[in-house]
Amino acid sequence: MTKRSFDVTKLPGTAVMAVACFVILYVPMAILVGYSFNSGNVIGNWEGVSLRWYGAALHNQAFLDAAINSLILATTASVISTVFATMAALATTRTDRFRGEGTIHIILNQPLMVPEIVLAIALLIIIGQIKQATGYTGLGFLIAAHTTFCIPFAYLPIRARLEGMDLSLETAAADLYASRFYTFRRVTLPLLAPGILSGFMLAFVVSLDDLVMSDFLKSPGQDTLPTYLMSELKRNLTSEIYAISSLLLLLSVLIVAGSWVATRKKD
Amino acid sequence: MSGPETWRRWALALPAVVVIMLFSILPLGVVLVYSLLTPGDFGNVKWIFSTDGWFSVLFERNIFDDTIGLSGANLGILFRSIVLSIVTTLITLIFGLPTAWFIATRPPAQRNFWLFLITIPFWTNLLVRTIAVQEMIRSEGVFNRILLAVGIIKEPIQMMFSDFAVLLGMTYVFLPLMVLPVYAAIEKFDFRLAEASYDLYASRFFCLRRVILPLIRPGVIAGSILVFVPSLGAYVTPRVMGGGKSMMLGNLIDLQFGQGRNWPLGAALSITLTALVLIALIWYTRITSGRKEQSHD
Amino acid sequence: MLDIRGLSKRFGYGKGEVTALHEVSFKIAEGEFFTLLGPSGCGKTTLLRLIAGFTGPSGGSLVLDGKDIAAMPPNQRPVNTVFQSYALFPHMTVGQNVAFALEAQGRPKSEIDPAIDKMLTLVQLLHLKNRKSSELSGGQQQRVALARALVAKPRILLLDEPLSALDMKLRKDMQIELKRLQRETGLTFIFVTHDQEEALTMSDRIAVMSGGRVQQIATPRELYDRPANRFVAGFIGESNFLSATAKGGVVEVARARIALPDVADGAVTLMIRPEHVVLSANAPDVLQLEATVAQLVFFGTDTHVHLVLSDGEKLVARVQNALHGGQTLNEGERITISLPAKALRVVRDEEIAA
Repeated sequence: MTKRSFDVTKLPGTAVMAVACFVILYVPMAILVGYSFNSGNVIGNWEGVSLRWYGAALHNQAFLDAAINSLILATTASVISTVFATMAALATTRTDRFRGEGTIHIILNQPLMVPEIVLAIALLIIIGQIKQATGYTGLGFLIAAHTTFCIPFAYLPIRARLEGMDLSLETAAADLYASRFYTFRRVTLPLLAPGILSGFMLAFVVSLDDLVMSDFLKSPGQDTLPTYLMSELKRNLTSEIYAISSLLLLLSVLIVAGSWVATRKKD
Repeated sequence: MSGPETWRRWALALPAVVVIMLFSILPLGVVLVYSLLTPGDFGNVKWIFSTDGWFSVLFERNIFDDTIGLSGANLGILFRSIVLSIVTTLITLIFGLPTAWFIATRPPAQRNFWLFLITIPFWTNLLVRTIAVQEMIRSEGVFNRILLAVGIIKEPIQMMFSDFAVLLGMTYVFLPLMVLPVYAAIEKFDFRLAEASYDLYASRFFCLRRVILPLIRPGVIAGSILVFVPSLGAYVTPRVMGGGKSMMLGNLIDLQFGQGRNWPLGAALSITLTALVLIALIWYTRITSGRKEQSHD
Repeated sequence: MLDIRGLSKRFGYGKGEVTALHEVSFKIAEGEFFTLLGPSGCGKTTLLRLIAGFTGPSGGSLVLDGKDIAAMPPNQRPVNTVFQSYALFPHMTVGQNVAFALEAQGRPKSEIDPAIDKMLTLVQLLHLKNRKSSELSGGQQQRVALARALVAKPRILLLDEPLSALDMKLRKDMQIELKRLQRETGLTFIFVTHDQEEALTMSDRIAVMSGGRVQQIATPRELYDRPANRFVAGFIGESNFLSATAKGGVVEVARARIALPDVADGAVTLMIRPEHVVLSANAPDVLQLEATVAQLVFFGTDTHVHLVLSDGEKLVARVQNALHGGQTLNEGERITISLPAKALRVVRDEEIAA
């Protein structure tokens, strides 16, 4: 029989509050998912289990268009921002101070310091002018906007990974006659890969998640998933909203699970 | 660092820098300019210098007797934004601290499970989570249905479109943002210090107050900023939960570019919001760099 | 005043269960400087943590001043610890660290301030009272940890290898310091270390531990002169072991004989300290052996003479250089050595399993 040991990590009440917290966090989402299977017409009136709303969503052209837009946007923006962020990270990390380094740093982090609504209207003004002047109303504006706020999100994990990397490996490569580019390709890049992957995923999710910027800057027919969801919320209260929300929730779970698995493997 | 090396560094960073300058910094400058122009008749602006935009942020001119008074509506919204942000930060702290403590003190095998659980809401779409909260408290929502079914109330309680609803919504969506930095700080905490404090007759509460909290303070501050700043500039959650009744600064700005047709005012409000956020960030940097000199391994 | 009765501690369960402490029993008197000595994993730290209250025993009882304290949480036990890592609160000054225990007990400020000053004077750190604890040297931190643990006048002070992080010179100084402190305060100290020399110099009594059991408890002198078994003999000081056979009171080693009454028949292990090995044929009552000098190792004050006996067994003799005036031995030389009967000990092989 072991008498209970004194546990230094125990603080009375924390377990209860923590579990309560998790419950509070998950119950609304669980209810949301539950209602997405509601076979009834009126939202919230439970009538039975059915997949009809998922079916409705998948047959809804507007929804599909929005989904495709979101994917295109997110993919393009995260690829571009990750590439740019990687370059910027390589430029600003593990180096002696160089002139303007501090400035670059501030510039790279600037989008994080400004509230999204402000950036959205700022771009609204400028892009409005450009639209008038050129008549171009394509996806390009949204891509540019998304890329802009995705850069800091991609930058942070890449930089963190780069700072933690052992400089001596690249020195060894140079000692072994590797050119700068060869070293980068064969030594730096592979080691940096997990950070780049993290940055990419972060940028992807942030872009997919964006509502404000997309809502302000979109032209007709350029709905993204979040903006579509928002307009449906205002207009049409059916359980289809819950089906779409549940799909987005599933996407998040898959992404988080995916990144967890990826980080376990890499270690 | 040598000249060519500096050039190389700048060249690498250039694409990112250019993008951000073009699409983030430059536009802000344009906003500043627009705040000093005159509203156009159907929105947009007339290129005539005017300080009305800035004036209207806090004041309003009575059209009948031309007196100048404080703009009750705007001030109310400003006040609400600041107060709700502070309260949201406090509530997320009260709930987030024990949660972070709980996760950090689980055995390593279990810890990943709890971290996974707290990370999912973190990565879930803000709108989706707001919709989930809305479902709980709207008139035909879960709470009201349960209360009606059980018979406690005869009619649904109106909870939506109020300060309470906005507060509830923001607390719910920003809670994970508080937990993660606090968790990181607790994880680094040396529990041998807690052990030493108990050896020296400290009660659990005394240890918490005198040893644990001071040493996890950086995490608590980081979490607070991570909640306060987005709360201040919140747009989606107050829009869904507060409607037109309980607007925050972000919604007020939105209004000027929609129905309000007062772009200069909207621009001025935007700069104001940005300034408030910057103040909070500077205060944060000041606090943490002061501590950095004193913290040791 | 501390009565340890059958105290045991097991970790884990099922196949993974590990017994860190096997039913240990002994008493510690008031005002003693008592040391727990042993190699890592011997259970000394577990025993210390049981006394401090950070772990609960799996069995047995811990009685302090007549009360069983096994169920008492550490923040209520009148036992304070000096941790191996010092565990000074980095965000507090030296003075605040020392004041901690008194503040936790709710003592009034009027009582706390003079107590801090008195304690800091005792460890000669009064001038650093307002310095942040993280800015001190290792030796200073250690003294703060001491002052902090002593200020509340505990019944027992536990010291968990407190000198292991210090360099040699500082260590020796601190050993003297600690001894002085203990004398002055009159408190009971329980000291944990793996360094036998440290234990010998500082302790009133030592408990030598191995494999979760107490092998022997005795004064330093007794442990050195009369080790209970091979482990204690080998752990404390240097020793030579010889395999021998005994029959009827006569012990035979390498074809040499000596009369040692009261030795049971059969295989025995003889132990002799290197300084007792005489490098010449000598007087009566010695075990005389033929040996070859294998190696001479110069040690400043002594020379270690490594010898090989005719049957291959090895022996090390220690000779003071001052007494020999110069090298009189050469490697490869054959000499006769004498092992005086009164310096020979018969040691048991098995470790105590009670």
